Amino acid sequence: MKFKILTLLAGAVLISASSTAVMAAGKTIAVSWKTFQEERWKTDEAAIKKVVEAAGDTYLSTDAQGSAQKQAADIESLISQKPDVILVVAYDSDAILPSIQKISDAGIKSIAYDVQFEDPNALYITFDNVGVGRIMAQETLKVKPEGRYAFIKGDKGDPNATFLFQGMQEVLKDALASGKVKNVCETFTDGWKPDNAQKNMEQCLTSTNNGVDAVLSENDGMASGVVAALEAQGMAGSVPVTGQDGDLAAINRVALGTQLVSIWKNSIDLGTTAANAAIALADGTDATAIPGVAKFNGGKNKVEMNAILLAPTPITKDNIQVAIDAGHITKEQACAGVAAGTVPACN
Amino acid sequence: MAEQSSTGGPAASNEGPISRLIRAAEIDTRMLGMLAAMLVIWVGFDVISSILRPGGGGLFGGSFLTSRNLWILLVQTSVIAVMTTGMVLVIVLRQIDLSVGSMLSIVAVATGVLQVFDLGPLLGVGHPAIWIIAVVFAILLGAAIGAFNGILIAYGQIPSFIVTLGGLIAFSGAAFLIASGVTVAPMDKTFKLIGGNGPAASIGPLWSWALAAIACIGIGVAIVAGRRRRLKFSFKAKPVWAEVLSVVVGCAAVLGTTAVVNSYLYPPRVAERFALDNNIPIPPGVEDKSGLAICQAADKVVSCVDGLTFQTGYPIPVLIMLAVGLVMTFVARRTRFGRYIFATGGNPEAAELAGINTKRLTVTVFTLMGALVGISAIIASARLDAATTALGTLNELYVIAAAVIGGTSLAGGIGTIYGAILGALLMQSLQSGMALLNVDSAYTNIVVGIVLVLAVFVDQIYRRRVK
Repeated sequence: MKFKILTLLAGAVLISASSTAVMAAGKTIAVSWKTFQEERWKTDEAAIKKVVEAAGDTYLSTDAQGSAQKQAADIESLISQKPDVILVVAYDSDAILPSIQKISDAGIKSIAYDVQFEDPNALYITFDNVGVGRIMAQETLKVKPEGRYAFIKGDKGDPNATFLFQGMQEVLKDALASGKVKNVCETFTDGWKPDNAQKNMEQCLTSTNNGVDAVLSENDGMASGVVAALEAQGMAGSVPVTGQDGDLAAINRVALGTQLVSIWKNSIDLGTTAANAAIALADGTDATAIPGVAKFNGGKNKVEMNAILLAPTPITKDNIQVAIDAGHITKEQACAGVAAGTVPACN
Repeated sequence: MAEQSSTGGPAASNEGPISRLIRAAEIDTRMLGMLAAMLVIWVGFDVISSILRPGGGGLFGGSFLTSRNLWILLVQTSVIAVMTTGMVLVIVLRQIDLSVGSMLSIVAVATGVLQVFDLGPLLGVGHPAIWIIAVVFAILLGAAIGAFNGILIAYGQIPSFIVTLGGLIAFSGAAFLIASGVTVAPMDKTFKLIGGNGPAASIGPLWSWALAAIACIGIGVAIVAGRRRRLKFSFKAKPVWAEVLSVVVGCAAVLGTTAVVNSYLYPPRVAERFALDNNIPIPPGVEDKSGLAICQAADKVVSCVDGLTFQTGYPIPVLIMLAVGLVMTFVARRTRFGRYIFATGGNPEAAELAGINTKRLTVTVFTLMGALVGISAIIASARLDAATTALGTLNELYVIAAAVIGGTSLAGGIGTIYGAILGALLMQSLQSGMALLNVDSAYTNIVVGIVLVLAVFVDQIYRRRVK
């Protein structure tokens, strides 16, 4: 129901926004979304729209509904409305390239929002995925500087699974070499599925006879499976488990103590940063002069682009308040079942 | 089916003593082959794991043939096994259901939302009625979706492949919308027990032995009753020694399984908490709550609470799987409904001409399939202690594969419930075993795919030779 109302509201705002586009005196910022099927993009959109409209500029958007073809048509129709900047959340990072070329040809600036496409003229804005892996390893090292680590990696077909693991390895390199940290299990998880992660963790615990001191799970969904497997052995809560995404259930687990950390990529931060960058580009600022911009060439084809890589927020027992304050989760959801006095945010 | 394996008839008289024995005892040689394959796989995994990581405590020194791994293996099998008993009937009826995975997803998420977002605040978290309402709701919702599929297939005359392919795509979308893609957790405390986690989720050694005893008596009674029935209708009965052998082997299997699940002890931490919760004195010298490191002597992990042992026994999901298998076998072999399914699957035109209402039959079978998906959804979400749209993805393929490996013919009319459950166990053995060896899941998928095709190939050869 809430979802429907949001969609209707977004639609209504969209219609009124596009009808005023011609009359607006300010700049026009357009976004080509890949899909609104996933809940998070609504948060991004709200953040971008807020900044754009506060600056007196106009916001335009299209939804590709999970189709590379529709996205190409969407971008053509956006170009014909002559915006100053187009932000693109690419559905397919290769198939999008001809459309990006058309944007450049029309003299419009482009921003790769969250999903990379390798066009040297575009500005790439995302969270630092290798960094997420680093933070997971750092947080775990803080509580278990020595011990036997299990690595529950994501789907092997997803480059992010490898980026994350690279980040972990960077941080753990010395500890692994000196033998302080031992890698006792390391598995990919088909489709990032929680129930597969649960089975993998069960087999890991069986093969090591419960000899696991910490689990680095690459996201929150899989962490739920890992915690269920640990719980069956009475080990949940004493073995730190990592995750990312800021899932509501995961933040609750952090409060309960069964998960150590959930690395949260605050979509509001990402949207706000991107909107400010877009306005700066629209005003004629050079991409390299925007604060936070650095060169990035870590993509598939090693194309060098200007990029802003945001640092994600690790949510632990101590700073759950941050997610509550941002309106990402209610205090009731975060603190369900938490014993009084154990978590600052729940008091 | 008995119909299939009891084709004694006028066979060649120049057969050897072993095949004469097999024929006299009416043993399903196909099942023997599958059990042999399973044995090879189990021993293989144990031996390989003993080489890779010695000291696992298994039968051959590895970590596969340990009571702990076999116990977990049974729990891991239960979700697919419950659904596959329904899929056998669907396939026997010459239909297919591709939507079971997405259906599981929608039922799990809807049931999760109901108990966490609706019933929790309404009745108070942990209210004893929550799990009952959730279980009934899940089974009814599954049955309703199954009935919907069945009506479209039977009365809408749309091929089941298309209807359920549509369902596969549509239901996963609907499951997403119900919770806007959010993971629903944690489940109700009592509901969670159905997943088999924790001390209270198993029935303990006494009840396990009691059940085993009842099962043994049941096997004896069933075999005596079967013999009487055959004699009553002047059918040829098995020799007495073969009947006795059946009872002994069946009983040994039941008692052996019970011994295995009973010898899985509570994990040390669970045992400690259980003792503290129930005021059971902890022996001096092992009282320690500080953590794993204490329970580790040099490189070897020792139990924190040696001297404090509790046997686990049958976990609830495995009991559900066994009960479903029993009921479904009864339905398939002993009821008119079951015989109609096999008759219709064997020859739909003849069955219809004989007066069987095949349309109603189709709807009933799909409804039953849906209800079983509901049960699986309960086990899956209880076990994960969370409901997500990812639950159930690709399960339709595993369920169909298990049924086919278990000897169900896609041409219809042939299939057994126990075969399908063994098929599910075989597939899960491969997956768990490879995970135990830390094999990349890509290789696991390749092996499972090959085994599926190989099983059907061997089956074809076998059937041709029997004919």
